[in-house]
Order: sequence, then structure tokens, then C-alpha cells
Amino acid sequence: MLVYSQKSFLIVDDFTDFRTSLRSMLREMGIKDVDTAESGETAIRMCGQKRYDFILHDFHMGDGRKNGQQVLEDLMLDKLISHEAIFVMITAESSQAVVLSALEHEPDAYLTKPFNRVGLTQRLDKLVQRKTLLKPILQALDRGNPAQVLVACEQLCRQDPRFAPLCLRYRADAMAALNRHEELERFLKAILANRPTPWAYSALGKLLFKRGQTSQAKDVYEQAIKAFSMMPGLYDGLAEVLVALGESRRAQHVLEDAVRLSPLAVKRQMLLGKLALANADFDGASRAYRQAVSQGQNSRFKDPESNLGLAQALIQKNTGNGLDARTRVEINQVLGDVAKEYAEDQGLQVRARLIKATGVAQAGDAETAAKLTEAALARLETMDQFFSAEAALAVAAQLKQLGQEDAGKTILKNCVEVYGDDNAVMQNIAKLTDDSAILRAGNEAVDLNRQGVRSYQAGQLNEALEQFRKALKLQPKNISIALNTAQALLRIGGESPAAALLQECRDCLAKVAGIPDTDPRYERYRKLRIRAVGS
Amino acid sequence: MMSRDKESGLDFSTVIASTVHDMKNSLAMLMQAHSQWLSRLPDSHQQGPEQVVIEHEFVHLNGMLVQLLGLYKLGINQLPMLPDYHELDDFIGGLLAGYQEILHSRDIVARYEIDEATPLGFFDRELVGSVISNIINNAIRYAGHALLVTVREENEALVISVNDDGAGFPAAMIAQQHEYVQGIEHSTASTGLGLYFAARIAALHARNGVPGRIEIANGGALGGGLFRLYLP
Repeated sequence: MLVYSQKSFLIVDDFTDFRTSLRSMLREMGIKDVDTAESGETAIRMCGQKRYDFILHDFHMGDGRKNGQQVLEDLMLDKLISHEAIFVMITAESSQAVVLSALEHEPDAYLTKPFNRVGLTQRLDKLVQRKTLLKPILQALDRGNPAQVLVACEQLCRQDPRFAPLCLRYRADAMAALNRHEELERFLKAILANRPTPWAYSALGKLLFKRGQTSQAKDVYEQAIKAFSMMPGLYDGLAEVLVALGESRRAQHVLEDAVRLSPLAVKRQMLLGKLALANADFDGASRAYRQAVSQGQNSRFKDPESNLGLAQALIQKNTGNGLDARTRVEINQVLGDVAKEYAEDQGLQVRARLIKATGVAQAGDAETAAKLTEAALARLETMDQFFSAEAALAVAAQLKQLGQEDAGKTILKNCVEVYGDDNAVMQNIAKLTDDSAILRAGNEAVDLNRQGVRSYQAGQLNEALEQFRKALKLQPKNISIALNTAQALLRIGGESPAAALLQECRDCLAKVAGIPDTDPRYERYRKLRIRAVGS
Repeated sequence: MMSRDKESGLDFSTVIASTVHDMKNSLAMLMQAHSQWLSRLPDSHQQGPEQVVIEHEFVHLNGMLVQLLGLYKLGINQLPMLPDYHELDDFIGGLLAGYQEILHSRDIVARYEIDEATPLGFFDRELVGSVISNIINNAIRYAGHALLVTVREENEALVISVNDDGAGFPAAMIAQQHEYVQGIEHSTASTGLGLYFAARIAALHARNGVPGRIEIANGGALGGGLFRLYLP
């Protein structure tokens, strides 16, 4: 038996009896530093204040509480535990843990009830030995240094090749973090040819998808599910790929399978709701969104989009039939939560009010609906944040439905200006209007932008800048064009850009300051801004 | 396995599975309460022949319930399979640790040997764990004073053997082991079902088209029953 007297332990279980008996087992092992928590929420707080060497966490913590897997995710993502710490998930039944496990964050070990002191000691001893063996890798992980992880793995494999398989996953993660795509692809394919594992399939699927090899990614996920039909994480991957391929109905079915395996997953339920809504399956959408809302209460993945989605699904489900009292209460409740909790977010406030207006109108109260719409329009006037393309389209459709066709058109016009270079967005706009003035408003600017990109890539920077400038004059709120202009300006400016150039750069970035933080280009915007303002 | 009672509309295998699930939880509570109660007794009362029976049957019951749930999930094709590399020393040591008190009280010395060249094995820890655990439990029942678990590599397969120094398997059982494995023959319910379960789990561990398998015999280093699990 190893010496644990200097180590700190945290026991998390909602049953007092179990905490007591586990604590006395640890005492018998000579461990003095033992804390207990009756909920995961408390455990997370405690981990924020004290560094624990061992966490023994029961999986099931009761309804409406974070389960062990969610707690582990929170602790990892918020860096509240070191990679050197040992997290043991205690379960009543072994197979459930597998289904509930997320592929990204696995505990160091599962321990199935019942177990005795000898069994516990033996398990902990071995875990400590393994973590000691892997220490250089784990320290590099704590430092967030993937290059060093690879070096440490190489050293371990040379030192004792028998343990090389323990490094596989660390190496794959590090290669992914370093964007060594070709190397990672070869590495994962070799693993799958030898000893297929769910994580390796998932990593390969993600990699192929990221590199735009969508149909190959689909093949990988389909093969993976054939081999490991009980791993919900693989279904998530397949659904994501199917959405990208435009097969939204199949994507919905795939996610329904995943939800049957593992219903406790906020993000999965939310995506399922979204797909079902898009597929006009309003029953399915309200079921999934309802789950996402209620599970979201105690999750880091809580998202107001689920509330809006649920209200939307409930209204559309009853189109033409008014709304019964219970549904009205539910809609008020979920929208009320958004109004209360996201008071600062103008876009959400507008959207929540418009959805509510739609519901009220459907219930037959035209007067209140008109008032709500007016309030939403007033907020819209002063809004400087951009809607995401998706939200803009939903708002435009609602305004049209509420008899505010002109306001709806303004939204669409705006959307064309901001996102007009995105073909998928333009196709969706075309579904809502056939007004060619709106549909063609961005064409010239988008063309100029495309020429600018070509010149930029050919190294003709001044020519590129002129083309971007012309495009920007036509559509000053287009995010892509503004970012391209800023980037060209900074590139031309070099080490010490002239003041006028920096000012121009700041001006064009200021025009798109409303970019939603969910936009994939947000990070690029942020970096350009730092360079334009900071230097 | 999915026999549906048309008149009541009940799916009996599902009902049984959920009852077994409750039984398992209930047993876990019972075991925990028992050990707490025991720890409050004076030392002289903590040992005794009844105590040995209670401990052993607790573990045996638990193993059977796990096996039943496993068989149900196999039947509806929902047994999760999550293979990975595991340290064999940790794996076998952990299984035997669960039996330490029983072994001690029955005066059985259990040893395990792992080939140093292969410290890692690739398999589903829970599934193979429940198979080997049941086999160990069974071996304890029939062993004299010794139990030996060995792990080594043979023709690119990992071979886990459980050997005891008892009277061994009945000759008829060894002769008909294929029928047990196929689930055709299961007259000695507990052992027979155990072999069937073990064979199904072994077969789930296939590599390049070669499925895992099991084998029973008499002999080995200890001369009694010998169970072998082959994982390619």
C-alpha cells in the first residue's frame, strides 16, 4: 500500500451513509485530509478553493442536480483540477457509465458499487502508479503545452515501449492542438487498423470534417457506429456531418437514437430541437427543447436559444388552433426567463418579444400582440448589435407574420449587407423574399471582395486594398469585407503603420463592432482590433 | 429473449431486467449496511463461519445479477462495449482484492502471475471483469487451498486463465462445453449460464475477424478446474 497520509481527498455523494462509510474506509487507510460534499455544485466550489489530489464522485446525484460527468467537465474546462489529480467515478451499475461517458472527458477510473477497502486501496495504488509513470505528460498538459506533451510521450515510449499504448490518446490530442493534420490522420488510421476505439474514430471524424472532407467523415462515423453502437458521442459526430451535407432529416433521426441512449445532454437536446424545428416536426422539437431548457438549469451549456426554440416550437405546433392555457403558461415562463436573465442582450430581448407577440396573436389577442410588436420594433431601432444570420431570418419571418412586412424587409436588407458573401445565407434569404432589389443588393460588393481576395493571395496588396475599399463603400457592414480591409491595411502598414492608416482600420472595424460573439470570425475580428487599437 | 405477453401487453424480459436492476441496488444497500453493522460489533463477533457464507453469497448474488443484466442487454443488442488498454496487474489485482476476505476465511491462497512482456491488455474492462469475477467466484467454491490466475500472450491472443486445486469440472461438462457455450445445454444452471455469458463476452472481443473464445479443462499447474479466456 502506498502512503496517502499527505494527500487530500474529496468524497461527493448525495447519500450520507455512503459518505460516512467511504470516509471510514479512507481513515483506515491512514488518510486524514478528507472533505465531503453532498452535491456536485458544492464540490465544484470546494475545488475552486482547495487543490484535491483525489476526488471520489458518485455518478448519480439526484434529479435536477449536476451528475458526476457534468461535474468532471466543469472541473476540467475551468481548470479546477490538475491533470495529475485522480478522479474516480463511482457507479451503481457499470454499463450505464459507459453510455453516459463523454468521449472528451473521461474519469481516471470507474468503480462499481459495492466495493471494499482492499479493493479501493488496490485501485488507488494502481492509479497513483500510472499517474507517476505519466507525470511528465500530465505536467505538460497542465501547462497547456502540446509540443511538450509529444516530447514527453516520445520519452516514455523509448524508456518503456510496453507502455506506449497509454500515450496514444495524448499524442493524438497534442497533434490536433498543433494542427499537424496529415500526421494526425496517418496516426489515427493506423490505430483504427490495429485496435479500433471510439475515441480514435471520433478524432478522425472530427479531423476530416474540419478539413472539409465531409463525405469521408460521414463514412468514418458510420463505420464507428457499426462497431460501437452504444456510444452517443459518435452519433453527435455523424449528425453534425449530416447537417453539413444538408441531410437534416437523417441528422434528426441519428440524434434521436443518441438521445435514447443518453438523454442527459443539454447540447444534444438543443441541437435535436433545432433540427426537428427545421424539419417541421414541432412535437419532437418541443420535447427536445423542453429537455434542453430543464437540463440547462444546472449546466454550463445553458443557452437562451433553447428557450426561444421551445416557445417557437410550441407556437408552430398549434398553428391555426389558437393556444391552450397550459401552453400559454409554458411560453410565458420560458420567454420570461430570457427577458429576466439576459436583460443586457438587445437581440435576445427583441426576439423574445416577437415570439411572444406571435403566440399572443395566435391566441387571438391582436391588441396585446400589436403592443408587443411595437415594443420590439422600438428596441430594434436602437440596436447596434448584429443578429446572427439565423436569428435575422427568424425575426424577418416573424415580422412578416405579424403584419410588419416593411420592418421584415429592412431586417433582410441588413442581413444581406452583413452576411451577403455567404451563399448559404443568401439561399435562405431567397426563401423569404423574391424582391430582387434585396437579393442583388450585395452582388457588386461581394464580387469586388472576391477579386480583392485573389489579388491579396497573389501578393498584390495595394490592388487588393483598393478592391476591398470599393466593396466596403458599397456594403460597410459586411463583416468579411471589413475584416479583409482591416487586414490588408495592417499588412501594408507593416511594423509601424502610419496614423491615418490605423485610423482607417479602426473605422472599418467599428462598423462591424456588432458582430455576434458566436460568429466563427469573431476571434479574427478580436485579434485585428487588438492590433489596430493596441499599436 | 424478448418474449411478449400478448394478453397483458407486458414485455417480460424488460420487466425482469428492471426488477433485477432494483434487486442489485437493494443488494448493494444490504451489503453496505451489513458491513457497517459488522464494524460496530466487537472483534470476536466479526469472524465466524456464518459470516463467511454471508460474504461469499453476497458477492455471488451480485455477480449473478450483473450477469443477468448483461444477458438481457446482449439479447436486445444494447450491451455497451468500450475496449481500451488496461494494466493487467491493476485489473487482476483489483478483481482478487474484492475476494480477499472470502479467500482468507476459506483458507485459500490466491496468486496471480502476469507475463512482464505484456503489462497491458486491450479489452472492455467491465465486461471481461464480470466474466473473470464470476469464474473466480465459482473456483473459490470448488477450490481446496489454492487459486492461480495467469495472464500471458499466446499466438497474438491474450490468455487469462483461472486455475484451482479442487476436483475440477465434471467430465461431461468438459465434453459438452460447446453446447454450454451455444446456450443449448444449461442443466447446472449457474455454471452453465456463466459459461454461456463468458463465451458471448469473449466473442464480442473480435480482432480482424477472429473472435475471442473460452475453454474449460481440468489440470493446469494446480491440477483442478482450469478456465481459459482467449482475447485476440
